[in-house]
Amino acid sequence: MIEARRISKFFSIVNKDGIAEGLTACLSVSLSIGKGEIITLLGPSGCGKSTFLEILAGLQAPTEGEVYIDGVRVLEPLPSTRNEMEEYRKKYRFLSPLANDLIRDRPKHDIAMIFQDYAVFPWMTVLQNVTFTLKLRGLAHVEREKQALIYLGKVGLASSANKYPSQLSGGMRQRLAFARALSVEPKAILMDEPFAAVDLLTRERLQDDLLNLWKSSGITIVMVTHDVAEAVYLSDEIVIFSPSPGTIRNLFRVDVPRPRRRDDPALAEIQERISRLLKYDLDNESEYSI
Amino acid sequence: MHYTPRNYGSKGISLLTRESWLFLKNAFGSIFSREFIKVLLPLLVLWEIVPRLNIIPRTLIPTLSDVALAFWDLTLNKGFFLHIIYSLGKFLAGLLIAIFLAIPIGIFMGWNIPIRKHTLPLFQILAPIPPPAWVPITIIIFGIGLPMQIYLIFLGAFYPILFNTYQAIKDTDPRYLSSARVFGASELTLILRVYIWNALGAIIMSVKTGVAIALVMLVIAEMYGGRSGIGYLLVEAKDFFQIPAMVVCMLTLGLIGWFSIELLKFAELKLALWKVGR
Repeated sequence: MIEARRISKFFSIVNKDGIAEGLTACLSVSLSIGKGEIITLLGPSGCGKSTFLEILAGLQAPTEGEVYIDGVRVLEPLPSTRNEMEEYRKKYRFLSPLANDLIRDRPKHDIAMIFQDYAVFPWMTVLQNVTFTLKLRGLAHVEREKQALIYLGKVGLASSANKYPSQLSGGMRQRLAFARALSVEPKAILMDEPFAAVDLLTRERLQDDLLNLWKSSGITIVMVTHDVAEAVYLSDEIVIFSPSPGTIRNLFRVDVPRPRRRDDPALAEIQERISRLLKYDLDNESEYSI
Repeated sequence: MHYTPRNYGSKGISLLTRESWLFLKNAFGSIFSREFIKVLLPLLVLWEIVPRLNIIPRTLIPTLSDVALAFWDLTLNKGFFLHIIYSLGKFLAGLLIAIFLAIPIGIFMGWNIPIRKHTLPLFQILAPIPPPAWVPITIIIFGIGLPMQIYLIFLGAFYPILFNTYQAIKDTDPRYLSSARVFGASELTLILRVYIWNALGAIIMSVKTGVAIALVMLVIAEMYGGRSGIGYLLVEAKDFFQIPAMVVCMLTLGLIGWFSIELLKFAELKLALWKVGR
Protein backbone atom coordinates (compact mmCIF):
# COMPACT_ATOMS: atom_id res chain seq x y z
CA MET A 1 0.00 0.00 0.00
CA ILE A 2 3.00 2.31 0.46
CA GLU A 3 5.36 2.35 -2.43
CA ALA A 4 8.58 4.31 -2.69
CA ARG A 5 10.25 4.44 -6.08
CA ARG A 6 13.93 5.38 -6.33
CA ILE A 7 13.86 7.98 -3.59
CA SER A 8 16.92 10.18 -3.40
CA LYS A 9 17.42 13.11 -1.11
CA PHE A 10 20.32 15.51 -1.32
CA PHE A 11 21.00 18.30 1.10
CA SER A 12 23.44 21.09 0.75
CA ILE A 13 24.96 22.09 4.02
CA VAL A 14 27.43 24.82 4.83
CA ASN A 15 30.44 23.54 6.76
CA LYS A 16 32.37 25.51 9.31
CA ASP A 17 34.66 27.04 6.69
CA GLY A 18 31.59 28.52 5.02
CA ILE A 19 31.79 26.21 2.02
CA ALA A 20 28.66 24.51 0.74
CA GLU A 21 28.86 20.74 0.72
CA GLY A 22 26.56 18.20 -0.77
CA LEU A 23 25.13 15.53 1.49
CA THR A 24 23.31 12.47 0.29
CA ALA A 25 20.74 11.35 2.83
CA CYS A 26 19.11 8.71 0.64
CA LEU A 27 20.23 7.30 -2.68
CA SER A 28 17.78 5.54 -4.92
CA VAL A 29 15.79 3.77 -2.25
CA SER A 30 12.91 1.66 -3.51
CA LEU A 31 10.61 -0.07 -1.11
CA SER A 32 7.20 -1.59 -1.32
CA ILE A 33 5.26 -2.13 1.87
CA GLY A 34 2.28 -4.43 1.97
CA LYS A 35 -0.93 -3.98 3.91
CA GLY A 36 -0.93 -5.01 7.56
CA GLU A 37 2.79 -5.60 7.78
CA ILE A 38 5.23 -4.35 10.36
CA ILE A 39 8.33 -3.06 8.61
CA THR A 40 11.40 -1.85 10.45
CA LEU A 41 14.00 0.45 8.99
CA LEU A 42 17.19 -0.40 10.82
CA GLY A 43 20.58 1.21 10.65
CA PRO A 44 23.17 3.26 12.49
CA SER A 45 22.31 6.85 13.27
CA GLY A 46 22.78 9.30 10.45
CA CYS A 47 22.04 6.82 7.68
CA GLY A 48 19.04 8.67 6.34
CA LYS A 49 16.34 6.36 7.65
CA SER A 50 14.48 9.11 9.51
CA THR A 51 14.67 11.31 6.44
CA PHE A 52 13.27 8.47 4.39
CA LEU A 53 10.39 8.07 6.82
CA GLU A 54 9.58 11.78 6.66
CA ILE A 55 9.60 11.54 2.88
CA LEU A 56 7.11 8.68 3.11
CA ALA A 57 4.90 10.85 5.32
CA GLY A 58 5.14 13.77 2.93
CA LEU A 59 6.88 15.98 5.47
CA GLN A 60 9.94 16.35 3.29
CA ALA A 61 10.11 16.49 -0.46
CA PRO A 62 12.45 13.96 -2.07
CA THR A 63 14.96 15.36 -4.52
CA GLU A 64 14.16 12.52 -6.88
CA GLY A 65 11.66 9.72 -6.90
CA GLU A 66 8.05 9.27 -5.97
CA VAL A 67 6.07 7.94 -3.05
CA TYR A 68 2.61 6.48 -3.54
CA ILE A 69 0.17 5.64 -0.81
CA ASP A 70 -2.66 3.49 -2.15
CA GLY A 71 -1.79 4.64 -5.63
CA VAL A 72 -1.97 8.36 -4.77
CA ARG A 73 1.21 10.33 -5.11
CA VAL A 74 2.27 11.86 -1.79
CA LEU A 75 3.94 15.04 -3.01
CA GLU A 76 3.92 16.61 -6.42
CA PRO A 77 7.26 16.59 -8.25
CA LEU A 78 9.60 19.47 -7.53
CA PRO A 79 10.13 22.02 -10.30
CA SER A 80 13.00 21.35 -12.65
CA THR A 81 12.93 24.35 -15.01
CA ARG A 82 12.94 28.03 -14.25
CA ASN A 83 9.34 28.49 -15.41
CA GLU A 84 8.14 25.61 -13.31
CA MET A 85 9.99 27.11 -10.37
CA GLU A 86 8.13 30.40 -10.78
CA GLU A 87 4.80 28.60 -10.88
CA TYR A 88 5.72 26.55 -7.86
CA ARG A 89 6.79 29.59 -5.88
CA LYS A 90 3.56 31.37 -6.71
CA LYS A 91 1.44 28.39 -5.76
CA TYR A 92 3.10 27.93 -2.41
CA ARG A 93 3.45 31.56 -1.44
CA PHE A 94 1.33 31.19 1.67
CA LEU A 95 1.52 27.43 1.99
CA SER A 96 4.20 24.99 2.71
CA PRO A 97 4.19 22.44 -0.13
CA LEU A 98 3.99 19.81 2.57
CA ALA A 99 0.92 21.23 4.29
CA ASN A 100 -2.58 20.81 3.13
CA ASP A 101 -4.80 23.84 2.93
CA LEU A 102 -4.74 27.43 4.01
CA ILE A 103 -8.07 27.45 5.82
CA ARG A 104 -9.67 24.02 5.68
CA ASP A 105 -8.38 21.01 7.58
CA ARG A 106 -8.05 18.12 5.20
CA PRO A 107 -5.72 15.17 5.54
CA LYS A 108 -4.07 14.22 2.26
CA HIS A 109 -3.48 10.61 3.14
CA ASP A 110 -4.82 8.19 5.64
CA ILE A 111 -1.66 7.89 7.69
CA ALA A 112 -0.52 8.87 11.15
CA MET A 113 2.93 9.49 12.50
CA ILE A 114 4.59 9.13 15.88
CA PHE A 115 7.76 11.01 16.65
CA GLN A 116 10.76 10.14 18.73
CA ASP A 117 10.04 12.41 21.67
CA TYR A 118 6.29 12.07 21.39
CA ALA A 119 5.53 15.58 20.05
CA VAL A 120 2.25 15.64 21.94
CA PHE A 121 1.14 19.21 22.50
CA PRO A 122 2.01 20.26 26.04
CA TRP A 123 -0.60 23.03 26.03
CA MET A 124 -3.49 20.63 25.51
CA THR A 125 -4.80 18.12 28.01
CA VAL A 126 -4.53 14.43 27.20
CA LEU A 127 -8.11 14.41 25.95
CA GLN A 128 -7.67 17.60 23.92
CA ASN A 129 -4.59 16.16 22.27
CA VAL A 130 -6.65 13.29 20.89
CA THR A 131 -9.78 15.29 20.05
CA PHE A 132 -7.61 17.82 18.21
CA THR A 133 -6.45 15.23 15.67
CA LEU A 134 -9.99 13.88 15.40
CA LYS A 135 -11.22 17.40 14.68
CA LEU A 136 -8.68 17.65 11.88
CA ARG A 137 -10.32 14.56 10.40
CA GLY A 138 -13.67 16.32 10.51
CA LEU A 139 -15.49 14.43 13.24
CA ALA A 140 -18.41 16.08 14.98
CA HIS A 141 -17.90 17.40 18.48
CA VAL A 142 -19.77 14.70 20.39
CA GLU A 143 -18.23 11.83 18.44
CA ARG A 144 -14.77 13.27 18.92
CA GLU A 145 -14.90 13.01 22.67
CA LYS A 146 -16.44 9.54 22.58
CA GLN A 147 -13.87 8.13 20.20
CA ALA A 148 -11.01 9.83 22.02
CA LEU A 149 -12.08 8.21 25.28
CA ILE A 150 -12.32 4.81 23.62
CA TYR A 151 -8.74 5.00 22.37
CA LEU A 152 -7.43 6.52 25.59
CA GLY A 153 -9.01 3.55 27.32
CA LYS A 154 -7.24 1.17 24.96
CA VAL A 155 -3.84 2.51 25.97
CA GLY A 156 -4.86 2.80 29.62
CA LEU A 157 -4.96 6.58 29.88
CA ALA A 158 -8.70 7.13 30.34
CA SER A 159 -8.26 8.07 33.99
CA SER A 160 -5.76 10.84 33.19
CA ALA A 161 -7.81 12.40 30.40
CA ASN A 162 -7.80 15.82 32.02
CA LYS A 163 -4.12 15.93 32.91
CA TYR A 164 -1.52 17.82 30.95
CA PRO A 165 1.30 15.87 29.26
CA SER A 166 3.84 17.45 31.61
CA GLN A 167 2.13 15.60 34.44
CA LEU A 168 2.60 12.22 32.74
CA SER A 169 5.61 9.92 32.76
CA GLY A 170 7.61 9.29 29.60
CA GLY A 171 5.94 5.96 28.92
CA MET A 172 2.47 7.45 29.42
CA ARG A 173 3.29 10.27 27.04
CA GLN A 174 4.33 7.76 24.43
CA ARG A 175 1.06 5.87 24.97
CA LEU A 176 -0.76 9.15 24.48
CA ALA A 177 1.07 9.56 21.17
CA PHE A 178 -0.14 6.04 20.26
CA ALA A 179 -3.71 6.87 21.21
CA ARG A 180 -3.55 10.06 19.17
CA ALA A 181 -2.26 8.22 16.12
CA LEU A 182 -4.62 5.25 16.43
CA SER A 183 -7.74 7.29 17.16
CA VAL A 184 -7.96 8.55 13.58
CA GLU A 185 -8.02 4.91 12.48
CA PRO A 186 -5.33 5.30 9.85
CA LYS A 187 -4.31 2.70 7.31
CA ALA A 188 -0.67 3.09 8.22
CA ILE A 189 1.34 4.44 11.12
CA LEU A 190 4.86 5.70 10.63
CA MET A 191 7.04 5.74 13.74
CA ASP A 192 10.36 7.47 14.18
CA GLU A 193 12.26 5.69 16.97
CA PRO A 194 9.15 5.55 19.14
CA PHE A 195 10.78 3.77 22.07
CA ALA A 196 14.14 5.50 22.10
CA ALA A 197 13.34 7.88 24.94
CA VAL A 198 11.91 5.44 27.51
CA ASP A 199 13.65 3.04 29.87
CA LEU A 200 14.10 -0.64 29.03
CA LEU A 201 11.23 -2.05 31.12
CA THR A 202 8.76 0.50 29.81
CA ARG A 203 10.04 -0.11 26.32
CA GLU A 204 9.28 -3.83 26.45
CA ARG A 205 5.81 -3.17 27.80
CA LEU A 206 5.13 -0.58 25.11
CA GLN A 207 6.32 -2.99 22.44
CA ASP A 208 3.83 -5.59 23.64
CA ASP A 209 1.10 -2.95 23.81
CA LEU A 210 1.92 -2.00 20.26
CA LEU A 211 1.67 -5.60 19.09
CA ASN A 212 -1.70 -5.99 20.78
CA LEU A 213 -3.03 -2.83 19.20
CA TRP A 214 -1.66 -3.93 15.85
CA LYS A 215 -3.30 -7.35 16.15
CA SER A 216 -6.71 -5.86 16.86
CA SER A 217 -6.58 -3.24 14.13
CA GLY A 218 -4.47 -4.80 11.39
CA ILE A 219 -2.84 -1.55 10.28
CA THR A 220 0.46 -1.20 8.50
CA ILE A 221 3.34 -0.08 10.69
CA VAL A 222 6.57 1.38 9.40
CA MET A 223 9.09 1.91 12.15
CA VAL A 224 12.55 3.42 12.32
CA THR A 225 14.87 2.08 15.00
CA HIS A 226 18.49 1.42 15.78
CA ASP A 227 17.73 -1.32 18.29
CA VAL A 228 18.31 -4.70 16.62
CA ALA A 229 16.48 -6.75 19.26
CA GLU A 230 13.43 -4.53 19.00
CA ALA A 231 13.43 -4.76 15.21
CA VAL A 232 13.67 -8.56 15.26
CA TYR A 233 10.99 -8.97 17.90
CA LEU A 234 8.44 -6.72 16.24
CA SER A 235 8.77 -6.88 12.51
CA ASP A 236 7.75 -9.00 9.56
CA GLU A 237 10.47 -7.48 7.48
CA ILE A 238 13.63 -5.63 8.41
CA VAL A 239 15.14 -3.16 6.00
CA ILE A 240 18.77 -2.51 6.77
CA PHE A 241 20.11 0.88 5.78
CA SER A 242 23.77 1.53 5.23
CA PRO A 243 25.11 5.00 5.80
CA SER A 244 26.70 7.57 3.49
CA PRO A 245 24.93 7.47 1.14
CA GLY A 246 21.77 6.04 2.70
CA THR A 247 20.80 3.02 0.70
CA ILE A 248 19.13 -0.27 1.40
CA ARG A 249 21.80 -2.76 2.35
CA ASN A 250 19.72 -5.87 2.95
CA LEU A 251 16.19 -7.05 3.44
CA PHE A 252 15.52 -9.63 6.13
CA ARG A 253 12.21 -11.41 6.41
CA VAL A 254 11.42 -12.56 9.91
CA ASP A 255 9.19 -15.58 9.43
CA VAL A 256 8.90 -16.55 13.07
CA PRO A 257 5.20 -17.07 13.86
CA ARG A 258 3.44 -14.78 16.31
CA PRO A 259 3.04 -14.51 19.25
CA ARG A 260 6.81 -14.51 19.61
CA ARG A 261 8.88 -14.99 22.69
CA ARG A 262 11.73 -12.62 23.33
CA ASP A 263 14.12 -15.49 24.07
CA ASP A 264 13.18 -17.51 20.99
CA PRO A 265 16.44 -18.99 19.55
CA ALA A 266 15.24 -18.35 16.00
CA LEU A 267 14.95 -14.63 16.78
CA ALA A 268 18.33 -14.67 18.49
CA GLU A 269 19.90 -16.17 15.40
CA ILE A 270 18.48 -13.50 13.10
CA GLN A 271 19.55 -10.84 15.55
CA GLU A 272 23.07 -12.27 15.59
CA ARG A 273 23.27 -12.22 11.80
CA ILE A 274 22.06 -8.62 11.58
CA SER A 275 24.40 -7.46 14.31
CA ARG A 276 27.34 -9.05 12.57
CA LEU A 277 26.36 -7.37 9.32
CA LEU A 278 26.08 -3.94 10.91
CA LYS A 279 29.35 -4.41 12.74
CA TYR A 280 31.07 -5.41 9.52
CA ASP A 281 29.79 -2.23 7.84
CA LEU A 282 30.98 -0.05 10.68
CA ASP A 283 34.41 -1.70 10.78
CA ASN A 284 34.90 -1.26 7.06
CA GLU A 285 33.83 2.33 7.25
CA SER A 286 36.34 3.14 9.94
CA GLU A 287 39.14 1.71 7.81
CA TYR A 288 38.30 4.13 5.04
CA SER A 289 37.91 7.08 7.28
CA ILE A 290 41.45 6.67 8.66
CA MET B 1 7.10 29.53 61.31
CA HIS B 2 3.37 29.36 61.83
CA TYR B 3 1.53 29.11 58.61
CA THR B 4 -2.14 28.39 58.50
CA PRO B 5 -3.38 27.70 54.98
CA ARG B 6 -6.32 29.89 54.12
CA ASN B 7 -9.52 28.21 53.14
CA TYR B 8 -10.00 29.72 49.71
CA GLY B 9 -13.00 27.57 48.95
CA SER B 10 -15.16 28.94 51.76
CA LYS B 11 -18.51 30.28 50.75
CA GLY B 12 -18.13 33.89 51.82
CA ILE B 13 -15.25 34.67 49.47
CA SER B 14 -16.23 35.08 45.86
CA LEU B 15 -13.99 33.99 43.02
CA LEU B 16 -13.01 37.57 42.19
CA THR B 17 -11.82 38.52 45.65
CA ARG B 18 -10.06 35.20 45.91
CA GLU B 19 -8.20 35.79 42.67
CA SER B 20 -7.31 39.39 43.48
CA TRP B 21 -6.09 38.35 46.90
CA LEU B 22 -3.93 35.72 45.28
CA PHE B 23 -2.63 38.28 42.81
CA LEU B 24 -1.79 40.85 45.49
CA LYS B 25 -0.11 38.21 47.58
CA ASN B 26 1.98 36.98 44.68
CA ALA B 27 2.82 40.48 43.50
CA PHE B 28 3.47 42.49 46.63
CA GLY B 29 3.73 39.83 49.29
CA SER B 30 7.52 40.01 49.04
CA ILE B 31 7.57 43.48 50.68
CA PHE B 32 5.76 42.24 53.73
CA SER B 33 7.70 39.06 54.16
CA ARG B 34 9.23 38.56 57.61
CA GLU B 35 12.71 38.76 56.12
CA PHE B 36 12.30 41.95 54.16
CA ILE B 37 10.50 43.83 56.94
CA LYS B 38 13.75 43.54 58.90
CA VAL B 39 15.50 45.44 56.11
CA LEU B 40 12.68 47.81 55.21
CA LEU B 41 11.93 49.23 58.65
CA PRO B 42 15.54 50.22 59.50
CA LEU B 43 15.85 51.76 56.03
CA LEU B 44 12.74 53.87 56.54
CA VAL B 45 14.00 54.96 59.97
CA LEU B 46 17.38 55.89 58.49
CA TRP B 47 15.66 57.82 55.72
CA GLU B 48 13.82 59.83 58.35
CA ILE B 49 16.79 60.40 60.67
CA VAL B 50 19.75 61.07 58.37
CA PRO B 51 18.40 64.28 56.74
CA ARG B 52 17.05 65.45 60.12
CA LEU B 53 20.50 65.18 61.69
CA ASN B 54 21.78 67.16 58.70
CA ILE B 55 24.26 64.48 57.69
CA ILE B 56 22.86 65.09 54.24
CA PRO B 57 21.22 68.51 53.75
CA ARG B 58 17.45 68.18 54.15
CA THR B 59 16.85 70.49 51.20
CA LEU B 60 18.41 67.90 48.87
CA ILE B 61 17.15 64.67 50.37
CA PRO B 62 13.71 65.12 51.93
CA THR B 63 12.76 62.93 54.87
CA LEU B 64 10.08 60.27 54.75
CA SER B 65 7.65 62.59 56.52
CA ASP B 66 8.37 65.37 54.00
CA VAL B 67 7.54 62.98 51.18
CA ALA B 68 4.37 61.84 52.93
CA LEU B 69 3.31 65.46 53.39
CA ALA B 70 4.09 66.22 49.76
CA PHE B 71 1.94 63.27 48.73
CA TRP B 72 -0.90 64.62 50.87
CA ASP B 73 -0.43 68.07 49.40
CA LEU B 74 -0.41 66.77 45.82
CA THR B 75 -3.56 64.75 46.45
CA LEU B 76 -5.45 67.66 47.99
CA ASN B 77 -4.34 70.54 45.83
CA LYS B 78 -3.22 69.14 42.50
CA GLY B 79 -5.55 66.19 41.90
CA PHE B 80 -2.72 63.69 42.05
CA PHE B 81 -4.95 60.64 41.48
CA LEU B 82 -6.51 62.26 38.45
CA HIS B 83 -3.01 62.69 37.04
CA ILE B 84 -2.28 59.04 37.74
CA ILE B 85 -5.41 58.09 35.84
CA TYR B 86 -4.42 60.31 32.90
CA SER B 87 -1.00 58.71 32.80
CA LEU B 88 -2.39 55.20 33.08
CA GLY B 89 -4.91 55.95 30.32
CA LYS B 90 -2.22 57.10 27.89
CA PHE B 91 0.04 54.24 28.90
CA LEU B 92 -2.68 51.65 28.32
CA ALA B 93 -3.77 53.21 25.03
CA GLY B 94 -0.25 53.21 23.62
CA LEU B 95 0.51 49.75 24.94
CA LEU B 96 -2.71 48.20 23.65
CA ILE B 97 -2.22 49.67 20.17
CA ALA B 98 1.30 48.27 20.19
CA ILE B 99 0.10 44.84 21.33
CA PHE B 100 -2.70 44.61 18.80
CA LEU B 101 -0.43 45.64 15.94
CA ALA B 102 2.83 43.97 16.90
CA ILE B 103 1.58 40.50 17.84
CA PRO B 104 -0.34 39.81 14.60
CA ILE B 105 2.45 41.25 12.45
CA GLY B 106 4.98 39.22 14.41
CA ILE B 107 2.92 36.07 13.97
CA PHE B 108 2.61 36.55 10.22
CA MET B 109 6.30 37.32 9.89
CA GLY B 110 7.28 34.25 11.83
CA TRP B 111 4.85 32.02 10.01
CA ASN B 112 5.44 32.82 6.37
CA ILE B 113 8.76 33.34 4.62
CA PRO B 114 7.58 35.62 1.75
CA ILE B 115 5.80 37.90 4.24
CA ARG B 116 8.95 37.92 6.35
CA LYS B 117 11.15 38.83 3.41
CA HIS B 118 8.83 41.67 2.43
CA THR B 119 8.56 43.25 5.86
CA LEU B 120 11.44 42.33 8.13
CA PRO B 121 14.12 44.65 6.65
CA LEU B 122 11.85 47.65 7.12
CA PHE B 123 11.51 46.94 10.82
CA GLN B 124 15.20 46.11 11.06
CA ILE B 125 15.99 49.60 9.76
CA LEU B 126 13.52 51.41 11.98
CA ALA B 127 13.82 49.44 15.20
CA PRO B 128 17.37 50.40 16.24
CA ILE B 129 16.44 54.11 16.34
CA PRO B 130 16.21 54.82 20.08
CA PRO B 131 12.60 55.76 20.81
CA PRO B 132 13.50 59.09 22.52
CA ALA B 133 15.12 60.17 19.24
CA TRP B 134 11.62 60.21 17.79
CA VAL B 135 10.49 62.94 20.19
CA PRO B 136 11.40 66.07 18.17
CA ILE B 137 9.90 64.91 14.89
CA THR B 138 6.81 63.57 16.67
CA ILE B 139 6.24 66.94 18.36
CA ILE B 140 6.47 68.69 14.99
CA ILE B 141 4.14 66.25 13.26
CA PHE B 142 1.51 65.67 15.95
CA GLY B 143 1.98 68.87 17.94
CA ILE B 144 2.02 68.82 21.72
CA GLY B 145 -0.83 66.75 23.03
CA LEU B 146 -2.39 63.40 23.45
CA PRO B 147 -1.70 61.87 19.98
CA MET B 148 1.99 62.63 20.27
CA GLN B 149 2.19 61.11 23.73
CA ILE B 150 0.31 57.98 22.77
CA TYR B 151 2.40 57.59 19.64
CA LEU B 152 5.64 57.75 21.61
CA ILE B 153 4.41 55.18 24.11
CA PHE B 154 3.28 52.95 21.25
CA LEU B 155 6.69 53.28 19.65
CA GLY B 156 8.46 52.23 22.81
CA ALA B 157 6.44 49.03 23.16
CA PHE B 158 6.00 48.10 19.50
CA TYR B 159 9.43 46.83 18.44
CA PRO B 160 10.29 44.63 21.42
CA ILE B 161 6.90 42.93 21.18
CA LEU B 162 7.18 42.57 17.42
CA PHE B 163 10.65 41.09 17.33
CA ASN B 164 10.23 38.72 20.23
CA THR B 165 6.90 37.45 18.91
CA TYR B 166 8.37 36.96 15.47
CA GLN B 167 11.37 35.12 16.84
CA ALA B 168 9.28 32.85 19.04
CA ILE B 169 6.89 31.97 16.22
CA LYS B 170 9.78 31.34 13.86
CA ASP B 171 11.49 29.04 16.34
CA THR B 172 8.43 26.83 16.84
CA ASP B 173 9.53 23.23 17.24
CA PRO B 174 9.13 21.69 13.77
CA ARG B 175 8.00 18.40 15.26
CA TYR B 176 4.86 20.01 16.66
CA LEU B 177 4.14 21.39 13.20
CA SER B 178 4.89 18.08 11.51
CA SER B 179 2.71 16.10 13.84
CA ALA B 180 -0.21 18.45 13.19
CA ARG B 181 0.45 18.49 9.44
CA VAL B 182 0.47 14.71 9.14
CA PHE B 183 -3.06 14.67 10.51
CA GLY B 184 -4.11 17.29 7.95
CA ALA B 185 -4.01 20.58 9.81
CA SER B 186 -4.49 23.67 7.66
CA GLU B 187 -2.19 26.64 8.03
CA LEU B 188 -4.91 28.54 9.90
CA THR B 189 -5.28 25.71 12.40
CA LEU B 190 -1.52 25.55 12.76
CA ILE B 191 -1.39 29.24 13.66
CA LEU B 192 -4.33 29.15 16.04
CA ARG B 193 -3.64 25.86 17.76
CA VAL B 194 0.12 25.33 17.53
CA TYR B 195 2.22 28.42 16.74
CA ILE B 196 0.53 30.82 19.16
CA TRP B 197 0.42 28.40 22.06
CA ASN B 198 3.99 27.34 21.61
CA ALA B 199 5.10 30.99 21.59
CA LEU B 200 2.77 32.14 24.36
CA GLY B 201 5.42 32.35 27.07
CA ALA B 202 7.77 34.33 24.85
CA ILE B 203 4.98 36.66 23.74
CA ILE B 204 4.04 37.53 27.32
CA MET B 205 7.74 37.99 28.07
CA SER B 206 7.97 40.40 25.14
CA VAL B 207 5.01 42.39 26.43
CA LYS B 208 6.86 42.71 29.73
CA THR B 209 9.84 44.22 27.90
CA GLY B 210 7.42 46.44 25.99
CA VAL B 211 5.86 47.65 29.25
CA ALA B 212 9.25 48.65 30.62
CA ILE B 213 10.17 50.72 27.57
CA ALA B 214 6.65 52.14 27.24
CA LEU B 215 6.92 53.44 30.79
CA VAL B 216 10.15 55.23 29.93
CA MET B 217 8.43 56.76 26.92
CA LEU B 218 5.43 57.77 29.04
CA VAL B 219 7.66 59.88 31.27
CA ILE B 220 9.54 61.38 28.34
CA ALA B 221 6.34 62.17 26.46
CA GLU B 222 4.74 63.84 29.47
CA MET B 223 7.88 65.80 30.26
CA TYR B 224 8.11 67.19 26.76
CA GLY B 225 4.56 68.05 26.11
CA GLY B 226 1.30 68.05 27.90
CA ARG B 227 -0.49 69.48 30.83
CA SER B 228 -1.34 66.28 32.61
CA GLY B 229 0.16 63.13 33.96
CA ILE B 230 2.84 62.21 36.43
CA GLY B 231 5.69 63.15 34.11
CA TYR B 232 4.20 66.63 33.86
CA LEU B 233 3.94 66.88 37.67
CA LEU B 234 7.55 65.79 37.88
CA VAL B 235 8.76 68.57 35.57
CA GLU B 236 6.54 71.09 37.34
CA ALA B 237 7.98 70.07 40.72
CA LYS B 238 11.47 70.48 39.28
CA ASP B 239 10.64 74.01 38.12
CA PHE B 240 9.54 74.96 41.65
CA PHE B 241 12.35 72.98 43.30
CA GLN B 242 9.90 70.80 45.19
CA ILE B 243 12.07 67.76 45.78
CA PRO B 244 9.54 65.88 47.98
CA ALA B 245 6.93 66.08 45.21
CA MET B 246 9.49 64.75 42.74
CA VAL B 247 10.17 61.77 44.97
CA VAL B 248 6.44 61.07 45.19
CA CYS B 249 6.17 61.08 41.38
CA MET B 250 9.18 58.81 40.99
CA LEU B 251 7.88 56.30 43.50
CA THR B 252 4.47 56.32 41.83
CA LEU B 253 5.99 55.63 38.41
CA GLY B 254 7.97 52.77 39.87
CA LEU B 255 4.83 51.36 41.40
CA ILE B 256 2.99 51.54 38.08
CA GLY B 257 5.79 49.62 36.41
CA TRP B 258 5.90 47.01 39.11
CA PHE B 259 2.14 46.61 39.09
CA SER B 260 1.91 46.10 35.33
CA ILE B 261 4.74 43.56 35.28
CA GLU B 262 3.08 41.62 38.09
CA LEU B 263 -0.25 41.78 36.27
CA LEU B 264 1.41 40.18 33.24
CA LYS B 265 3.06 37.53 35.36
CA PHE B 266 -0.35 36.70 36.79
CA ALA B 267 -1.84 36.52 33.31
CA GLU B 268 0.95 34.17 32.29
CA LEU B 269 0.26 31.97 35.28
CA LYS B 270 -3.42 31.77 34.39
CA LEU B 271 -2.95 31.32 30.64
CA ALA B 272 -0.07 28.86 30.63
CA LEU B 273 -1.67 26.51 33.11
CA TRP B 274 -0.02 23.57 31.39
CA LYS B 275 3.41 24.76 32.44
CA VAL B 276 2.57 24.64 36.13
CA GLY B 277 3.07 20.91 36.51
CA ARG B 278 6.60 21.12 35.16
